Amino acid sequence: MAIGEERYQSELITRVIEKGICVNCGACVGLCPYFAYFDGRVAVMDRCGAGTGRCLQVCPRAAYTQIMREEAKGLEGRDLSLGFYSQVLTARAKDKYLHEEAQYGGVVTALVCLGLEKGLFKGAVLTDRGGELSPGGALAVTPFAVKSCAGSRYSASGSLSILNKAIKDENDGIAVVGLPCQMEALERMQRSVPDGGDRASKVAIRIGLFCTWALDYRKLRDFLYKNGVKGIVRKYDIPPPPAEKFVVLTEEGQKEFPLGEIRVFVQKGCYLCRDMTAEWADISVGTMEGTAGWNTVLVRTERGKDFLDDAFKEGILEKGNLPDENLKHLIVASRNKRERGKKAESDMLRDSE
Amino acid sequence: MKEIFERSGGSELLLQGNEAIARGALESGVRFCAGYPGNPSSEIIETLAEAAKEIPVYAEWSINEKVALEAAAAASFAGLRAIVSMKQNGVNVVSDFLTNLSLSGTGGGLVLVTCDDPGGISSTNEEDARLFAKLADVPLLEPSTPQEALEMTKWAFELSEQIKNIVILRSVSRLSHTRANTLIGDLPDYGGGAFFDTKSPFHTFPVLTKHLERHKKLDSAMILSERSAFNRYDGPDWPELLVIASGSCWNYVTEAVELLDLSSKVGVLKLGMTWPLPCNLLRKHLARAGRILFAEELDAFVEESVKALTADLGSEVGIKNFYGRGSGHIPICGELSPGLILGVLGDLFSKVWKAEIFREKIRTFIPQPVPPREFGFCAGCPHRGSFYAIKAALAWDGRNGFVSGDIGCYSMGIWPTGFNQVKSVHAMGSGVGLASGYGKLGQFGFDQPVITVCGDSTFFHAAIPALINARFNDSDILLLILDNSATAMTGFQPHPGTGSNAMGHKVEPVDIESVCRSLGVYVEVGDPYDLNVTACAIYRLMGMAGPRVLILRRKCALVQGRQGGFPYTMMVAREKCLGEECGCGRYCTKIFRCPGLIWDAAEKKALIDEVICVGCGICSEACPRGAIVRMEKRKD
Ligand SMILES: Cc1cc2nc3c(=O)[nH]c(=O)nc-3n(C[C@H](O)[C@H](O)[C@H](O)COP(=O)(O)OP(=O)(O)OC[C@H]3O[C@@H](n4cnc5c(N)ncnc54)[C@H](O)[C@@H]3O)c2cc1C
Ligand code: SF4
Ligand code: SF4
Ligand code: SF4
Repeated sequence: MAIGEERYQSELITRVIEKGICVNCGACVGLCPYFAYFDGRVAVMDRCGAGTGRCLQVCPRAAYTQIMREEAKGLEGRDLSLGFYSQVLTARAKDKYLHEEAQYGGVVTALVCLGLEKGLFKGAVLTDRGGELSPGGALAVTPFAVKSCAGSRYSASGSLSILNKAIKDENDGIAVVGLPCQMEALERMQRSVPDGGDRASKVAIRIGLFCTWALDYRKLRDFLYKNGVKGIVRKYDIPPPPAEKFVVLTEEGQKEFPLGEIRVFVQKGCYLCRDMTAEWADISVGTMEGTAGWNTVLVRTERGKDFLDDAFKEGILEKGNLPDENLKHLIVASRNKRERGKKAESDMLRDSE
Repeated sequence: MKEIFERSGGSELLLQGNEAIARGALESGVRFCAGYPGNPSSEIIETLAEAAKEIPVYAEWSINEKVALEAAAAASFAGLRAIVSMKQNGVNVVSDFLTNLSLSGTGGGLVLVTCDDPGGISSTNEEDARLFAKLADVPLLEPSTPQEALEMTKWAFELSEQIKNIVILRSVSRLSHTRANTLIGDLPDYGGGAFFDTKSPFHTFPVLTKHLERHKKLDSAMILSERSAFNRYDGPDWPELLVIASGSCWNYVTEAVELLDLSSKVGVLKLGMTWPLPCNLLRKHLARAGRILFAEELDAFVEESVKALTADLGSEVGIKNFYGRGSGHIPICGELSPGLILGVLGDLFSKVWKAEIFREKIRTFIPQPVPPREFGFCAGCPHRGSFYAIKAALAWDGRNGFVSGDIGCYSMGIWPTGFNQVKSVHAMGSGVGLASGYGKLGQFGFDQPVITVCGDSTFFHAAIPALINARFNDSDILLLILDNSATAMTGFQPHPGTGSNAMGHKVEPVDIESVCRSLGVYVEVGDPYDLNVTACAIYRLMGMAGPRVLILRRKCALVQGRQGGFPYTMMVAREKCLGEECGCGRYCTKIFRCPGLIWDAAEKKALIDEVICVGCGICSEACPRGAIVRMEKRKD
């Protein structure tokens, strides 16, 4: 069987789980009882043994084949480091509350709140703040719930499991906020058999986050615990280079750690990742380096454009321009990630031969 | 069977071997009976405990076998007759006391009954407990039939009082659970009280003197044995083959000799006392046969003693050909059977013995053989919930954790019914002891989580010392006490936690939770039917250090069945059931495996087997589609 044809769980286990390259996106979780996301990690609960299935098809780490957007076909000559996009800009939410609570400009939270209020979708798959256990996926159906999920947790949350559950519970019109790997998983879901198209049609909008890597939550927690961070973390931040800092804000105050001490907790599977700006999203959102409190936004699809235009029209977002310098910088960073991912993948495939 | 307690004898009753032993004890005027349940021995104390409701006899289920023997020895020291019963593993537990007791000697007749389980049909091991008789230098009796079981029990008491030492009576599963017409004798009049004569204390000092005395007692037992009718020879004066048989095997030999028409060639020496051996009797028969076959279960116990005796006797009996375990004619493990003995005798006499003919005969009696079944927890068993939760917690954790198991129904956790979570099972309480060791391996780089499980009865029997050890040595151990309020595996005998004792008297239950708390161990209580909540609790507890206990409390399904039953009628909503499709893959019948769930191959949907399903409802939590529906049972 050629790569890409097999669909069963055991293949996913050998190719991804046992290799330790699962990025805990959660795409394979919640389809069936054989996988679970729990406390920061995806676990194999039982062996399914079936010869066909959906888990392997949706996994962004299982297929070592790249997928490509229709729109990008014919553009291969152009620089596609950022993936296909129609527009790049900067933005921030007008809501002052979000300047405090959101990660940067609060664009994501503001967009999701708007979508819910206007009925563009009925629920949004987000990532909560965690508690005794790791942050995990949450289906937010009210703006209040959306706001309580604001901010970035720098560990994978398996939140696509919540999407699967929502679809199983017959929900329709769901926004998904997720990392680049999760956006890719959504795209693979769209292309999967037997019912991927149908399932993907329940997703009203994909909002992607920029991402360099995500951490293994359990290792991070142990580290923080050993370093005196015991309560629930209110906010994490990784200020742009050359800061080389990992900042943790709790009820007790702020703590900073050298980024080097944290990087060792990066998920192994993240080193294979080639996508920094969530090329499979409708809208991708990241930080705006050098200008605190603003986001860089890439618009990639028609539905993404309509949604964003609407947000400006409604006056919930302020618009700005991304200086060329920043764009160049973003492209370089993106390209570097692609190169690193490509190399890591060929190293891995060579080693496993 | 109330007739077992009938005062006057003379009638024939259809008695099980174990009941015959109990009746024999009653006819001997036994006053004190103690034991720990374990297949195939349990019915002895059960019968005596029933008797104790009508006859001035005391019976108890003790906390473990060692305490049982100690309690019974107290009665013996005070001049009363006493009996203890257990399975082969129990003899290991008593052995420390036994080898000291046999030095101090006894007062009133004291009999230890061991019911061995050749083939390990309901045991974790296969063991010949007879070796303890040799180790402790005490007489060993082996009855072959229920009638003999009754009579030998009586003899055992007399013998014990004659030599002033404990006597071991050994049964095996086939005898303990065989029923046969048995002629009963009278029960005695009960008189005489208990009195410990402080002028003749019981202790082991001076040790050498006592050891020598013990051997002298054994010599007197041998002399009594030489004259005993329980050692008996049938056959020609000069047989071509002498079979030395004991216990159940004697029946197989008799049957085989008859079926093969060998009674003119084969002589059978039936030994009722197999330790010490009746040397003179053996000398006589050894001298008259050149070929000797041993039919005994399990070890070459008689075989090796007879070989040693033959060597001692030297030219007096001459050179022999021995057939048995040493020669490979008898398998070194497993139960013997008539078919097996037929095969061996057939070989030795070049008689074609067709096992097929025998099997064909059996087939005519049992036309529809029982289909093979795997071991499994009952429908509604709380252990299924416990192991399901353990499986989830260990999978979530992902560090290759495992369960250190113990003795009880939950030992079946090694099989799919317990999701193969249990990776070691040994003796009572050993799972906890092992866990206490694993809990100290962190310093050597061991980071696999270990969960140890034990039942309520096992907890009292032998787990407490291991738990205290863990507490004392600050070991990282997580003990799950699967408290199903029963000694379920052996047939629901009461234990200190159940609130009543062997004789049915109400007693204040010993509270497992407070026992653990008093040790300074962290304790939580959960419900194994609450699958996800329990799994989360286990996961959380796994993350803690030091000794921790989670009591998972739910009545054994069989007990619950008798005490009011279960709340639900279950149904599979067919339109929701995914069956083999991606998203389920027959999860309920393939993974969850409650026998109440079945697969409708024609419709490709799951079904509830209404006869088997008890209505505990926990599978509805396991079904990924919510297709298994609970409906409140109608209260008529
Ligand atoms: C693991 C991780 C790595 C990132 N790396 C970079 C980077 O290298 N460069 C960069 O420019 N930006 C990165 N980001 C994105 C950045 O942190 C912000 O999320 C993004 O800029 C949106 O900002 P905002 O103010 O609109 O966010 P907010 O309005 O606060 O909204 C943030 C949203 O992110 C969701 N979220 C939080 N944690 C996760 C998670 N672990 N997985 C999925 N969704 C989550 C929340 O549900 C919330 O809806 C990363 C984010 C994460 C989670
Ligand atoms: S990467 Fe995502 S889809 Fe692949 S195994 Fe991990 S959680 Fe499942
Ligand atoms: S680096 Fe890639 S794989 Fe890792 S979390 Fe980010 S998007 Fe996912
Ligand atoms: S009843 Fe539930 S678990 Fe069983 S086959 Fe149907 S969907 Fe699967």
